[in-house]
Amino acid sequence: MKDRHLSLNQTQRVRLEAALHELQSLAPAAASAAAVTVADTIPVNQEDNILKGHGTSDQDGEVVATLCGVVERVNKLVYVRTLKARYKPEVGDIIVGRVIEIAPKRWRLEINFSQDAVLMLSSMNLPDGIQRRRTAVDELNMRSIFEENDVICAEVRGFQHDGSLHLQARSEKYGKLERGQLLMVPPYLVKRKKQHFHHLEQYNVDLILGCNGFIWVGEHVVVGEKTKTTGGQQRFSTEAENFTPLETRKHICRLANAVRVLSALGFTLIVELIIETMEASVSSNVEINDMLGAEFYVQTAEREAKRRADLLRKKNGASSREGQLLMVPPYLVKKKQHFHHLEQYNVDLILGCNGFIWVCDMNYVAWEICNSLARLYEYLISQAIECPSQSVQVTNTFVKNLWRGFMRVPCAK
Amino acid sequence: MVGLSEGEKHFIHGGIAQDIRTDGRRRLQFRALSVQTGVIPQADWWLLVLQANGSAHVRLGATEIIASVKAELGKPSILHPDKGKVSIFVDCSPTAEPMFEGRGSEELSAELSVALQRCLLGGKSGAGAAIDLSSLIVVEGKVCWDLYIDGLVVSSDGNLLDALSAAIKVALSDTGIPKVNVSLSAASDEEPEVDVSDEEFLQFDTSSVPVIITLTKVGRHYIVDATSEEESQMSSAVSVSVNRHGQICGLTKRGGAGLDPSVILDMISVAKHVSQQFISLLDSEIAAAEAEAEE
Repeated sequence: MKDRHLSLNQTQRVRLEAALHELQSLAPAAASAAAVTVADTIPVNQEDNILKGHGTSDQDGEVVATLCGVVERVNKLVYVRTLKARYKPEVGDIIVGRVIEIAPKRWRLEINFSQDAVLMLSSMNLPDGIQRRRTAVDELNMRSIFEENDVICAEVRGFQHDGSLHLQARSEKYGKLERGQLLMVPPYLVKRKKQHFHHLEQYNVDLILGCNGFIWVGEHVVVGEKTKTTGGQQRFSTEAENFTPLETRKHICRLANAVRVLSALGFTLIVELIIETMEASVSSNVEINDMLGAEFYVQTAEREAKRRADLLRKKNGASSREGQLLMVPPYLVKKKQHFHHLEQYNVDLILGCNGFIWVCDMNYVAWEICNSLARLYEYLISQAIECPSQSVQVTNTFVKNLWRGFMRVPCAK
Repeated sequence: MVGLSEGEKHFIHGGIAQDIRTDGRRRLQFRALSVQTGVIPQADWWLLVLQANGSAHVRLGATEIIASVKAELGKPSILHPDKGKVSIFVDCSPTAEPMFEGRGSEELSAELSVALQRCLLGGKSGAGAAIDLSSLIVVEGKVCWDLYIDGLVVSSDGNLLDALSAAIKVALSDTGIPKVNVSLSAASDEEPEVDVSDEEFLQFDTSSVPVIITLTKVGRHYIVDATSEEESQMSSAVSVSVNRHGQICGLTKRGGAGLDPSVILDMISVAKHVSQQFISLLDSEIAAAEAEAEE
């Protein structure tokens, strides 16, 4: 994607610098320590036989970086990984690519890799869905499945011995992508997660985050319609009825602009962050076009700095939460709702099926309820000894009743 | 230029028809404009680097143009001894597109240069030119200023003509022509001696320089400031050069599709309407850039 330059006025520049400074201070110290620019010395233990990898060079006995990036160490190998590098594929990655050529029995796709990826005809479901051997007629009809310049999502199947990439698109969720727009961001912003296909129901939009940095934002397509053949060019008439509905189009443009702003700021692209940015733009009544302006850019940076600061505070706060662990015989806890937040006491009560009960709170320790449970435990133990055939179900209502002073434990017969 | 799939083309057509383009703009909305002046140094005579009397760097979205104005002393033409000379030339850098390397950009550069010349330079006699050529004369019949206006396309994302005209207007506003002292003791048929001053400069008055607004027709609607994706879908494009008073100084039509005359008249009126906003925006940006330069 071409870089856009934003002209910020003085206050915006100051705000942006403050936000970026805060983000840098929130980042873990190890990450910033590993960043190097050209001619920086890489700290290396001289006694080990260090292998100098890509992006390093030996100058006067010291290991010096020749690229700007992050220092990576793998056993004895030290190399510098640049951020805006080409995509580095791994088997199983979901990628989005564009067909640039139709070759005998295969399609060649451009995926922002050093070579073109290959999608074999045999790795693609036939339009009629039958599993059969591909014949010469199938080969002649390849253009009816995918044409040149089509946008396709597929999965990395593996590497060939010469280093070229093979893809497969056998599942229903892979296939041609239409009715939307393709965005190109640097590949390092898309981290490998469990899910790359996101169907945003509230907007009726499909968001596909390709690991190669190609991001597809488009109208929602029911799974199974992607692999249908094109019925000629008549599908795409310029009739108004055939266009994407206006509301969906607005959502698509907003999501695309959110992705553009986040990639310009260099933030990792996560679905929640994209949706949050989009909703922030709606709630602050920013015009879709103004999302690419300087004000929204600065606001997004500030919002992200605040979010990360809050997250860090919560994480630090959570570890020092005080509470009590109680152990009761497991048969007393039945499989019901286990997580209880008792609003009126501001207490979290977790009834583990294994008999471990955790009581804790956010602000202050409710000693009374802990004590009640301790008393309950003692009571139950005594009950078990006295009437072993009886069992008492430890439930939420039971604890509430206990709190209200019902000290008599009803025995379920 | 990356190709587009049928689905993407359909999406672009739909966006233009529904008045929400791919980046959320309306049909008659420009991208963000950013202007810088004085990017090429003026008389640094101990440096052998390219100098310019005036320069500008204009960004319209992702399209970047650098324009420079160089003034040299020369002889006026015999047909018009009371007018100076101006020449405009555009070059497309390979940093914009790989295909611009070597001679790949010749056709596009020639087309852009001719379009700009038609809009800004007026007729053969110099009548109707945006710049008053009579103000460029030093000694009538003998010495005049030759202005060489160069435009360089650094990054290309559509709408090159509009960005070039804006860059040239800004560069001209930044131009300072040195004051010239003519020694009076010259015979009528000898070359007079001129003394070019290093201190005093004459600023150009660019209020009458027009801007070019390109209207790209996609489907049944026209858009302003098309990106290169939208330009690839155009059926025809009309570039209208309008000055501050709303007068049309030049007209160019590109594209193979035929247009009804009523459509052309409608496009001209739309261009006139849009140009007034664009000219005022450009003037405010020039004023801001000048104020910053003075700081």
